[in-house]
Amino acid sequence: MNEALVVMVRGIIAFFTLLIFARLLGKQQISQLTFFDYVLGITIGSIAANLTTDLTSRAWPHWVGLAVWTILVLALQWLTLKWRYASKYIDGEPTVVIMNGKIMEDAMRKLRYRTSELLEQLRQKNVFDISQVEFAVLEVNGQLSVLKKSQHQPVTPQDLNIPTDYQGIDTELIYDGVVVEQNLKQVNLDRAWLDNQLKNQGIYDPSEVFLANLNAQGNLYVDKYQDHLKKLTDIGDYPGPH
Amino acid sequence: MKKIIYYLLPVAMLALFIAIMLSGSYLKQPFGEDDNVPQKIALVKEHVRNADWESAQREQNNLEIAWGKVTPRIQFSMERNEINQLDVSLARAGAAITAKDQAGALMELEEAARHWHNLGR
Repeated sequence: MNEALVVMVRGIIAFFTLLIFARLLGKQQISQLTFFDYVLGITIGSIAANLTTDLTSRAWPHWVGLAVWTILVLALQWLTLKWRYASKYIDGEPTVVIMNGKIMEDAMRKLRYRTSELLEQLRQKNVFDISQVEFAVLEVNGQLSVLKKSQHQPVTPQDLNIPTDYQGIDTELIYDGVVVEQNLKQVNLDRAWLDNQLKNQGIYDPSEVFLANLNAQGNLYVDKYQDHLKKLTDIGDYPGPH
Repeated sequence: MKKIIYYLLPVAMLALFIAIMLSGSYLKQPFGEDDNVPQKIALVKEHVRNADWESAQREQNNLEIAWGKVTPRIQFSMERNEINQLDVSLARAGAAITAKDQAGALMELEEAARHWHNLGR
């Protein structure tokens, strides 16, 4: 009986099971996780680790544990999606901690949220003068949303009545030296157009290109593998290994 | 077709994993004459009860060979503790038979039978 071999097989089972279950659970970003989501993640990960290395018990009960936690998370997700009351009960709700420039001490006390934490999160939002804040809301995931007073907000083109173009999103036409035909077709362009554009920039083969993006205005951004920069800016401030 | 593979692949993988994890109860059953562990335990017990030490020793060796054949196929789905304890019980039973200790041998064989019963439960 080979322990390492057993761990290897159980590791493969845990790895792919976790991968499949994580895909099932959805696309929530780490930064959007609530405290409970965070704990769930740790617990599920811990069960998967036990499944791999705890040879004193069978793999099956661990796997069932993993499945049960995943199903419960899925059920909670479904419940909070369908029933707003449950969502508020389970996830909590955002709390206003600054209203019309006034700090809501009672609300903060209920949340056990310290003033130092508030000031820290305000600084992270580039607010160093609390008198600039009109509203600050502590979100369910612990992040602070800040609305500055209108006189402290940056001027937008709309404020100045300046017309702006549609921004849109870029489309990748060449990725890692390979033309993305699907994207080219999607923007109603063809290979001849792309070759012509590249030729205008002195490029005769797409394989010379690391990335080529087309923006909504029709401008092509091209980055080649050969950058031909004479002097590279070094931001290192200490002689390290590289 | 792509969509079928997209859904079928994870389902097939999970099914395979479940099959591997639950295969123990099936794989511990005898596939031939020489890997029937519970039958061999019963046989050794019989010889020990009759104080036929020569036969008991011979069947004890066969029992250890049978156990050696079953172990590799159940190792992925069974708890290692139970496997190790059964291993130890068989070793002790072997020693008791060598020492012609009827009570000790029966005790260890009974314990081995219980470990076998508990495997995968």
